[in-house]
Amino acid sequence: MGLTWKLALRNIRRNKRRTLLTILLISMTLAILIFTDGYMRAMTDVMVRSATRLYPGDGQIHHTEYLAERDGEKQIVDVDGHLKKLQQSDLIDGYSPRAMDFGMVSSSANNLAVQVVGIDPQMESTVSKLKLSIVEGQYLTSDGPETQIMIGEPLAELLEVDLGDRLVVSVNNYEINDIDQRLFRVSGVFKLNSKFFDEGMVFVQLPKAQSMMGIGQSVHEIAFNFVDESISSDETLPIWSQLSTKSTIAQGWSQLMPDLATIVGMIDYSLLIVGGILFVVAILGVINAMFMSIYERTYEFGVVLAIGTRRGSLFVLIMAEGLVLALISLVIGVAIGTLIVLVVGLLGIDYGSMDISGVALAEVLRPELNMNHFTELPFAVFVMTLVACLYPAVHAAKIIPAKALHKSL
Amino acid sequence: MKPVIETKGLSRFYGAGDTLVKALNDISISIEPGEFTAIVGPSGSGKSTLLQQIGGLDLPDEGKVFLNDKAISDMSGKELSDFRRDHIGFIFQAYNLIPVLSAAENCEYIMLLQGIPAAERKERVYRMLASVGLEGKEDRLPGQLSGGQQQRVAVARAMVSQPDIILADEPTANLDSQTGMDLLDMMHDLNRNEGMTFVFSTHDPKIMDRASRLIHIEDGQVTQEETRDA
Repeated sequence: MGLTWKLALRNIRRNKRRTLLTILLISMTLAILIFTDGYMRAMTDVMVRSATRLYPGDGQIHHTEYLAERDGEKQIVDVDGHLKKLQQSDLIDGYSPRAMDFGMVSSSANNLAVQVVGIDPQMESTVSKLKLSIVEGQYLTSDGPETQIMIGEPLAELLEVDLGDRLVVSVNNYEINDIDQRLFRVSGVFKLNSKFFDEGMVFVQLPKAQSMMGIGQSVHEIAFNFVDESISSDETLPIWSQLSTKSTIAQGWSQLMPDLATIVGMIDYSLLIVGGILFVVAILGVINAMFMSIYERTYEFGVVLAIGTRRGSLFVLIMAEGLVLALISLVIGVAIGTLIVLVVGLLGIDYGSMDISGVALAEVLRPELNMNHFTELPFAVFVMTLVACLYPAVHAAKIIPAKALHKSL
Repeated sequence: MKPVIETKGLSRFYGAGDTLVKALNDISISIEPGEFTAIVGPSGSGKSTLLQQIGGLDLPDEGKVFLNDKAISDMSGKELSDFRRDHIGFIFQAYNLIPVLSAAENCEYIMLLQGIPAAERKERVYRMLASVGLEGKEDRLPGQLSGGQQQRVAVARAMVSQPDIILADEPTANLDSQTGMDLLDMMHDLNRNEGMTFVFSTHDPKIMDRASRLIHIEDGQVTQEETRDA
């Protein structure tokens, strides 16, 4: 072992308490970073999943001009062609065609504006959580009566209706260009824990909706989920262009819900801010500890400089001490961070039905480990420690032996 | 005989204007090889400052210092470091040694800087530690040695690199009188047996008695020089 390493290893054991505190500072910085990263990523995943898998889906296909004004006349005509492409793709887990338009729902007690959505019950269950969110009655069935309708629990309260009660639904019929009114009976009540869906949407069978809207076999939307949800925000995937045609466009949630994409982006920034604050505190702590160590050894440095040690060697020695501290801290930090993430991941953080920026957190939040926790974050903390050691090392290299030895020579 | 050390018009000032202190004022001395010289004088007389100048730890405001005819006051920082490493041995008052290195490693340190092969380093270290009476204590850390023993290690470290001269600033200041006298005797023996040139500062009359030459200094000026049988 070289002299520098021998001295570095022995020097960091000289003041065990200070070394321990410095290691603790660096390792806790890393552990907190690992946990924060795991937590933020879990939060992002839950928010995105809550927003997409609850109802909208990871991606949607519309007529190119539909979304601008939600114009019911802008429909997807070649539904089978699109469904075939979705069926053939290995990336796609489920898909559901929807006919939808704004309309009015009336009970004997109240009239309310809602979005009327026609769905294929079977296919819809592969995309949204509607089937799982039924609290009363039953989910739509393809072979059931045409008059079945599902409404949200708060909407049922506003309309003052129960299961089996009659409702009149009115929508615009684009074929005759007039209002089409049909009678329905409440067959199911759902609760998605989102005011937007629970108060503002009603679901009927797809053929019934197509008939009411006078759109033939066309639909307004095809929602789909990926097998791997994490790729849904990757706008560079070829699948988007493959699913699009001259008159239709396939888009992921980050384009369909730009507000959510912004929130997710802000979560990434918040990790940067937390990391930045932690780094500043840790850098100041390491600089302080290294300076204390150097001040205690000023006389000793004066001696070694006097007997012929070059200033560069003192610089290297202090940096080597920092390197040893960093390596020990990384091992401890990764171990503590991993443990915290695993334990919290096991216990989970339940936010109930709390929503953040309008997005209900529908799942228990479980931080998970990823490669980043063992590569980028430890590397960043490693570099941070060495950067923190630079100033003390330069200071040590600039010690003037005559001044350092003031007590003697 | 050609002097090992020679100073010509050496001056070192601190402060300026009314607060100007002449720590050294026009000092011209020469030290011959094999001398056992004591620089003596009261506290604040300039003994340590003179040793700093001779050892190349500080640069003069006026005058020059020559070691074997080479003007060390004209050297760059790197040249000075290498020059001190190869030509000058230092012994300080106390806390001389690197506390995390054993007695042998402390002696070996300077030879590592010189790039001397491992086998030769080991041979020289053990021989020098034995010559200062520390045989069997090579692996002890400074904290496991008495003050006197630590100063012996410092002497061994100063000599092991085979310098042209050894400078010692009040090497007995932190030792009890008997241990101090023992250390001086040992240094004197090394001076006589190995021919090593020693220059040390002291204000202790008992220590002065051991020196073969005394340079009296007061207020930064040499007031008297005397050669004696020690």
